Amino acid sequence: MELLDRYLQAVKKHLPWQRQDDIIAELKTNLEAQLEDKEAELGRPLTNSEIEAWLKKMGAPFQVAARYFPQQYLIGPAVFRMYWLVLRLAVSWAVIINLFVSGVQLIVNNSSPNAVGDAILRIPGVIMSVAAWVTLIFAAIEFGATHYPSRLQALTGDTFDWSSGALPPVESRSTSGKQLRSYAYAVAEVVFGFIALVWLLLIPQHPYLLMGPGAYYLQASPFQAAPVWIPVYWCIVALNVIQVGWRGIDLIRGRWSGPRRAQHFVVKILGLVPLVLVLTIRDRAYFTLRHPAADEAHYGAALAAINHAIHLGLLVVCFIVVAELLWDLGRTGVESYRKRMAAMQ
Amino acid sequence: MGYSMTMTENLFENLRMELRRGCLTLAVLAQLRQERYGYTLRKALAERGLEIDESTLYPLLRRLESQGLLTSEWREEEKRNKRFYRLSGDGEQMLGQLFEEWQTINAAVDATIQNS
Repeated sequence: MELLDRYLQAVKKHLPWQRQDDIIAELKTNLEAQLEDKEAELGRPLTNSEIEAWLKKMGAPFQVAARYFPQQYLIGPAVFRMYWLVLRLAVSWAVIINLFVSGVQLIVNNSSPNAVGDAILRIPGVIMSVAAWVTLIFAAIEFGATHYPSRLQALTGDTFDWSSGALPPVESRSTSGKQLRSYAYAVAEVVFGFIALVWLLLIPQHPYLLMGPGAYYLQASPFQAAPVWIPVYWCIVALNVIQVGWRGIDLIRGRWSGPRRAQHFVVKILGLVPLVLVLTIRDRAYFTLRHPAADEAHYGAALAAINHAIHLGLLVVCFIVVAELLWDLGRTGVESYRKRMAAMQ
Repeated sequence: MGYSMTMTENLFENLRMELRRGCLTLAVLAQLRQERYGYTLRKALAERGLEIDESTLYPLLRRLESQGLLTSEWREEEKRNKRFYRLSGDGEQMLGQLFEEWQTINAAVDATIQNS
């Protein structure tokens, strides 16, 4: 019996203190009766190892005690879906806002590129902190919903006011067979788009972010970029702002998975603006001499060759962009024609 | 192969437990139309083919009591203090409803299995 008493003592330690004596007294009676039955069946007392095996079969003391507690969840199934949705949104927006604030600080304070790395390294801490707060709030909601079910019924999912008419249309695969954009993919697009924007805005102060060591060579060379690149640069920035903003709005409005035809065409057409701007520059002077009077004789021919090569390159890029745009427009036209024909049949 | 067997066994065990859980409550309530204490209840269920672990049955009795479906009292029997349980008025009513539900489910599952 000593083993049984030791077992019951261990169980008792894990029981709710208000009921532990009562539960142990009942458990002891039942187990002793069971033990006596076993001994009567065998016609001899059980050996220590037999009692040990019997107790082991019953389960570890903390497991036996745990059965006397009601089932408990930190976040139960009734609120889990809402928790998961809020957690994803909160974490995504915390990362976006953190990057935005860091980006603004970097530009305003004209900080070094190392600060970009610091801002990125802060992201895991931000994610963990937001996740911890959301979890804590939902654990409190779960506690409330368990203890005051009538007051928090709306949060447990039974009484949500919704209408089937307000549901979004059936999602289909795009005609090209591409997989629909996932939420994580859409968030990554916004986050990386924003990082690219910050990088773009840092280029005027830190040209090596674009050209690498080439920036130092350019600085030491007799050539300099022509002023036409300034409006071109701001066109590219504006284009990126439009793209990131548009994607961000899609994300907020829950339309990240749908097709982005309008966005695609607007960005492509606007993308032609900086190209046209540089291609129409007078004399194709993409680069000029720092000291034309002194260097014209030495570097004039080289400068003309550089500008000519840049012009050819830009023409090729422009041709590719226009061809791609026309191809996409044609394909979209064919797709909508097919849809119209299918609808008429 | 061994891994998939273990997975299948685990899955079967989980599904079996789910299937048994509700039935056990019904069987316990039915058995407690007559007053019993924990161990004799366990024996009575085992004799009818429903083996149930001590660590499952005794907490279940507490839970059913806290839900008002059972009543209990400590009483001495064979020189030992025992906690006797029996069905309460609410428990009687609940047993009737559950039994009806169980019969409906049983008939529907039977019909489904026979038709398929």
